[in-house]
Amino acid sequence: MNYPVWELSMGAGILMAWVSILHVFVSHFAVGGGLWLVVTEMRARRTGDDRLLDFVKSHSRFFMLLTLVFGAISGVGIWTTIGLISPHGTSALIHGYVWGWAMEWVFFFLEIGAALVYYYGWKRLDARTHLAMGWIYFIAAFMSLVIINGIVTFMLTPGGWLENHEFWTGFFNPTYWPSAVIRTFMGLAIAGMFTLMTAAGLPRDAFRTRVIRWNAAWAFGGLVVVALAAKWYGASVAVWRDEEALLGAIPILPVVAGYFKWGIIVTALLALVPLLLPKVWNRGLVAVLLLCGLLTMGAGEWTREAGRKPFVIQKYMYSTGMLASQEDVVAEQGMAASAKWISPDAMDDPVRLGRDLYRAYCQPCHTRDGYNGLQPYLAHWDEETVSGLLPRLENIRALMPPWYGTDRENAALTSYLMTMKPQTKPDWPADPDAAAQLAFDVSCGLCHTPDGFRSLRDSFGGMTADEIDEFLDEAGDVDEGMPAYTGTEKQRKALIRYLEELGQEPQPAGETAAVPADSEGRQS
Amino acid sequence: MNPQVIIPGPDALPLPAPVFLLQFLLQLTFLLHLLAMNALLGGLLITLFARIKGDGGDDPWTSLPDAVAKVSPSLVAATVTLGVAPLLFLQTLYGQFFFTSSILMGWGWFSVVVVLIFAYYGTYLQSFRGKDLGGGQMPLLGLTVILFLWIGFMFTNNTSLMLHPEKWAAMYFADARGLHLNLTDPQLWPRYLHMVLGAVAVAGLMLLWWGRSRLARGDTSGAFMVRTGGGTFTWFTLVNIVLGLWYYMAQPAHVRKLFMGGQPLATALFGIGFVLGIVLVVLGFLLRRQGEGANPWPVSVLALAEMIVMIMMRDAVRAGSLGAHFRPETFAVQPQVLNLVIFAVLLLAGIGVLVWMVRQLYLAWER
Ligand code: HEC
Ligand code: HEC
Ligand code: HEM
Repeated sequence: MNYPVWELSMGAGILMAWVSILHVFVSHFAVGGGLWLVVTEMRARRTGDDRLLDFVKSHSRFFMLLTLVFGAISGVGIWTTIGLISPHGTSALIHGYVWGWAMEWVFFFLEIGAALVYYYGWKRLDARTHLAMGWIYFIAAFMSLVIINGIVTFMLTPGGWLENHEFWTGFFNPTYWPSAVIRTFMGLAIAGMFTLMTAAGLPRDAFRTRVIRWNAAWAFGGLVVVALAAKWYGASVAVWRDEEALLGAIPILPVVAGYFKWGIIVTALLALVPLLLPKVWNRGLVAVLLLCGLLTMGAGEWTREAGRKPFVIQKYMYSTGMLASQEDVVAEQGMAASAKWISPDAMDDPVRLGRDLYRAYCQPCHTRDGYNGLQPYLAHWDEETVSGLLPRLENIRALMPPWYGTDRENAALTSYLMTMKPQTKPDWPADPDAAAQLAFDVSCGLCHTPDGFRSLRDSFGGMTADEIDEFLDEAGDVDEGMPAYTGTEKQRKALIRYLEELGQEPQPAGETAAVPADSEGRQS
Repeated sequence: MNPQVIIPGPDALPLPAPVFLLQFLLQLTFLLHLLAMNALLGGLLITLFARIKGDGGDDPWTSLPDAVAKVSPSLVAATVTLGVAPLLFLQTLYGQFFFTSSILMGWGWFSVVVVLIFAYYGTYLQSFRGKDLGGGQMPLLGLTVILFLWIGFMFTNNTSLMLHPEKWAAMYFADARGLHLNLTDPQLWPRYLHMVLGAVAVAGLMLLWWGRSRLARGDTSGAFMVRTGGGTFTWFTLVNIVLGLWYYMAQPAHVRKLFMGGQPLATALFGIGFVLGIVLVVLGFLLRRQGEGANPWPVSVLALAEMIVMIMMRDAVRAGSLGAHFRPETFAVQPQVLNLVIFAVLLLAGIGVLVWMVRQLYLAWER
């Protein structure tokens, strides 16, 4: 709300996800792969194994080309991207942590310098000096991780920093250590995956088998530690328990947490293949392994990002740039007065005002019809529905930043949102079950889950269709935080069918009070 | 009617160091970035010229590009690494302006990263596979140069757009998709050309030094480098004096006034910069006259001084353009002394280790 908002039709989050997932995968390789290089080089030199030494040498060229160019520049890319989509967050991070970034920069240039000297030194440096360069590289790369890990975990779990705003309190926050362990060993695992790739191309003989086993041990061993550390991490993330987030309050969170968990399991199983059956290992399997590793890592990062919503820095700053400490003032003076980028035309044009408000307060997370798009919902809503929802946004499951619109602002935003409604009538599913599900998703499902978060099953236990119909008539009186029901006749019929069935079916077995990923998610 | 001016408020968190220290670090690291960038961009431009001129045989125009190709990836690494630091300090001090202009240029600014990855791989391709490319070498070099020029152009757009808050609101309300550039600004082209051709001049001087070190080792190909480098430096510095004047003329009147007596420091910098420029050209011609054995120290030291003057002038332009919109004295400051000390110690140690590493490589190479 302080800065302008870049209008990206695909959604800012998607751009961010692409840049960061690719970067994170390669940058963890840059750390773990550094250790692999020196340890394997030492091993080769100690045992006088020239073929192994040649393998390290040829791998180091690939390593340099991937990490120094793609790894380093995509890191600058993350920084550029967060500056574009979350300038307020970036600004806060560099105000609090300029010296952290500056320290990281020292290790950054050392890492790059050492990698170059290590690579160009193969021909020229004696063995001892060359190994020393490798160690300097690894230590510098690892120190980068140590520092960035502090700043990244700070955003999710700032802990005591919220009270004292002190650098090191925020740095060594509640998830610092488990996250550092996950990242370190993920790096080792990825080093194993990439070296398995280089090794797959070797001529098939005993040497290849030996090298593949060695690399697979890195991949598998790393993943086992990651799995254990992920449990520890889950236990340290108090915010997720507090907020019932994993119960479904943040719809995406249990899903991505589940992907992360299964990702680790599947990737580790795949990494067992080269360990146990090095002979069958080939390029195709390498591609699958790397892809699984990439997706798993992506799911892990996404879990962390999703769990932070609606904040950029937990409990300090919302995704829109609003500070938690500003909330009272914003509530008092209204949303338009608190936003900087409201155009002069907005004075007498409600749609224009709505558009500017939307950009400032909704667009940081929503798109029209892309990621987290509103159009698919708006298709099934009318003006009354929207104006009933807007004052109650903070009750929608996503845990959105509070919205303190005045009547005029609510009307303006409603009229702008109505311009997003597709012109053509949306298809209504012919299948009654699908229709029932859709009717629920676009109304009650926004704020309730059947079981778990604000669960409904018990409330409708044994109710007849007529009783439900009556309930819907009076839905607006149930609670201040709940809007009246405004669905069309068709939607209403389908919804009644849904709720009636919900009340009749017992809770699916195996699911305790929670939705699928409660306990699983917490572990990951 | 006055345009609507919207400027984001400063960050709620205090600055972790006094403003002057951050300013100093910004200028210092920017100077280092500029040196590396000049070597890279200027070097590649000279190389491109040489590639066009060389006949492919064993004339010196043909061997120069191969030599530059070998070092260019490391120059990119240096440019990027030394660029990250001023970017950090720029965002810390001028975030209100810099983030805003970046967002208005959204895609253009984002493109820097993507383009840089390709350009960087371009330099590696030339370094590792140059010979195998045959006739493809020239198009590859040309493309790489264009990509680097694009990056520089985006930087100039951004660092000049950030100086004009009065343009932002109208741009943003017209289109928020991040497709703007700062093309209508009269100072854009002189500023950009000044930077790029300045890079060629500085790279010329570096080429001269490189040639000298070759000569010292008895490699006669150095003579050609000394001559070409010296000539490039001199002529391009002459052109830059003209560009510098154009850059000055393109400033808004109130900024121009600062350099014409309105502000003592700015006026002095302008005078010194101008005189130094003339002196550099004269020294450059003398150097050529004296031939390969001439002493390049005086001209190099003065050229470095000129770069420092230029960086300070840039800062004066920035301060003058932003005027009352940028009031660092109102920023809350809460120095993190311990962290500053840790950084300083790490920095010194880091530089020490870096120097040691490069020396090891150099010594081994001499052997
Ligand atoms: C912090 C990010 C964030 C902000 C800011 C935000 N939302 Fe949301 N919103 C979400 C997420 C996440 C969901 C849940 C999407 C899902 O179902 O997974 C959501 C859901 C919704 C829904 C329910 C339909 C749907 O897409 O699931 C509506 C309606 C909605 N938001 C409107 C708004 C409006 C209006 C604003 C601006 C006043 C706003 N949101 C601001 C993140 C945000
Ligand atoms: C904008 C969010 C929102 C929407 C949409 C919504 N509710 Fe609610 N509902 C609430 C809130 C808030 C409460 C208060 C109780 C709580 O916080 O658990 C509540 C309470 C209830 C309760 C009573 C308490 C309970 O959990 O049994 C029922 C029943 C209920 N809602 C049913 C529905 C049905 C049916 C729909 C769809 C027509 C619906 N709600 C739509 C927010 C919403
Ligand atoms: C290798 C490609 C690069 C080239 C050719 C290049 C070129 C330039 C040019 C021409 C300018 C001057 C713009 C102006 O003010 O008119 C500039 C400024 C700047 N560059 Fe670079 N740059 C490159 C890479 C980078 C990278 C990767 C970073 C940071 C991550 C960076 C950081 C900066 C900063 C912060 C400034 C502005 C400093 C200031 O205004 O005080 N550069 N660069």
